[in-house]
Amino acid sequence: MGELLAILEKYNHLLLNGTLETLYMVSVSLVIAVIFGIPLGVLTTITRKGHILTNNVLNKILDGIINIGRSIPFIILMVAIIPLTRALVGTSIGTTAAIVPLAVAAIPFVARVVDNALLEIDPGIIEAARSMGATPLQIIVKVLLPEALPGLILGVTLTAINLIGYSAMAGAIGGGGLGDIAVRYGYQRFRIEVMVQTVIILVLLVQLIQWAGNKIASHFDHR
Amino acid sequence: MIEIKGLVKNYSTGQGVLHALNGVDLKVNEGEIFGIIGPSGAGKSTLIRSLNLLEIPDAGSIKINGKEVRSLKGKELRDFRRKIGMIFQHFNLLSSRTVRENIAFPLEIAGVPAGERNRKVDRLMELVGLSAHADHYPSELSGGQKQRVGIARALANDPQILLSDEATSSLDPESTEAILDLLKRIRDELNLTIVLITHEMEVIKKICDRVAVLENGRVIEEGEVIDVFLNPQQELTRRFIRTVIDYTLPEGLEEMVIKGTLVRVTFKGESTHQPLMSLLVKKYQIDANILYGRIDDIQGTPFGTLILEMIPNGGSIDQALNFLKEQGLVVEVLKNG
Ligand SMILES: Nc1ncnc2c1ncn2[C@@H]1O[C@H](COP(=O)(O)OP(=O)(O)OP(=O)(O)O)[C@@H](O)[C@H]1O
Ligand SMILES: [Mg+2]
Repeated sequence: MGELLAILEKYNHLLLNGTLETLYMVSVSLVIAVIFGIPLGVLTTITRKGHILTNNVLNKILDGIINIGRSIPFIILMVAIIPLTRALVGTSIGTTAAIVPLAVAAIPFVARVVDNALLEIDPGIIEAARSMGATPLQIIVKVLLPEALPGLILGVTLTAINLIGYSAMAGAIGGGGLGDIAVRYGYQRFRIEVMVQTVIILVLLVQLIQWAGNKIASHFDHR
Repeated sequence: MIEIKGLVKNYSTGQGVLHALNGVDLKVNEGEIFGIIGPSGAGKSTLIRSLNLLEIPDAGSIKINGKEVRSLKGKELRDFRRKIGMIFQHFNLLSSRTVRENIAFPLEIAGVPAGERNRKVDRLMELVGLSAHADHYPSELSGGQKQRVGIARALANDPQILLSDEATSSLDPESTEAILDLLKRIRDELNLTIVLITHEMEVIKKICDRVAVLENGRVIEEGEVIDVFLNPQQELTRRFIRTVIDYTLPEGLEEMVIKGTLVRVTFKGESTHQPLMSLLVKKYQIDANILYGRIDDIQGTPFGTLILEMIPNGGSIDQALNFLKEQGLVVEVLKNG
């Protein structure tokens, strides 16, 4: 009995730690991805043909970058950018190091999500703003982003959920977090119950994030 | 106030060049409501959007208060646009902003401080009758209410000119009526100049002082609304007029009954009151049957339409028609007897 408790305690501690590590990796990389992805997405949209700052060359370049970024499988990206990770964090192993490939993978994803959300906006609204003498910056800040806000929130939610999946992959090759635990205890030591528990936690995390994302998005949706 | 000369706009499409505006000349006077009517694809939107350079013309000139608009760029252009309000068929309100915030939008853009902004928005909401809906979102409003927000927003920076691109085209008849009344009222109260485009002659008849008919990127007819109704020169114009004053006789009637000369007579103002019919009979010995008759009101001026069947009873049709013309009536022979 005491033995069992000890194990539970041990694993609970383990699972709690793993969950926190996962949340840490996901949230920091998400913030970074949003910081870089939103401007990248906005710039891609507004340089499109017929938009407020049409620039075909720049648009093609940005569009290309996003597509390439999105098409590299995460596992390959993670290995490929090890030199960058080392240069930024000093090591390529551990939770903090995992943030670099996670953020790099999520930036083009966020950019595309932003691009799509902004394209949903009725061009008539942008035209109305132009007819009032709005500058491109005013249009971005006062029209594009607020009008696309519900879509942006859902997009960021989707990114967060993808990042949870990626972070499990990162964990499997030494990044820490729930993925790491699932592989080390569940797979290598045949602790099926640990495997199951990590999966349950991951499922719950995803559910929670999606639920919160939907709630927040619909709060801002006045369409 | 607005002077357009030789305005040309071409679009290159897959099938070659499309001449949306083919040398448009127009003059809009200060304080008038100027209507531009035309069928779909005539270039109406292209024309009105050229006035604030939402569309860049390829050639010609647009002068507003004597200043060439086409040479404006950057900040100058933005400042100029702030002084021209615009309303749209689909309202184009920000769905993320309440009524109050939507009306405040152009003021924010112009950098008006918050206190003054609020006072102004309050006044504008009152002007368009929306004070009770200040904190509603556009999705909670009817079409007519949305257009009121659009109008208040367009007036926020005290423009001299209001451009209206089919502002009533997606509204039901009642809201259309109310919005047209509102436009007329703000023109009177604020001494605005309004340029509106429409494909509905009803709108022209109700509130416009002058009208231009646009077809294939050209102005084919232009004048005081009442004069154009009285004496349309182009077939297209006649067709538009017939959409509001339908004097076509029931099918078959013409063949069955009409033996004499079928004449359409239109008149405005005092001619309405003259006892012309009895004169025709007595002095010109013409029997005249009224097959159709109505009197419309074009902004306070009575405007009559009669369809007469004239049968000579000793007199001459030509003399009778000349007599009617001398009385200032417009006479059009629809069918010779
Ligand atoms: N951006 C564009 N590219 C190519 N062709 C265009 C463009 N905008 C308008 N056109 C064409 O120019 C012509 C005039 O269009 P415009 O929108 O001015 O017509 P309109 O009179 O406003 O018609 P409607 O009553 O249908 O609104 C049309 O044949 C249209 O297809
Ligand atoms: Mg149009």
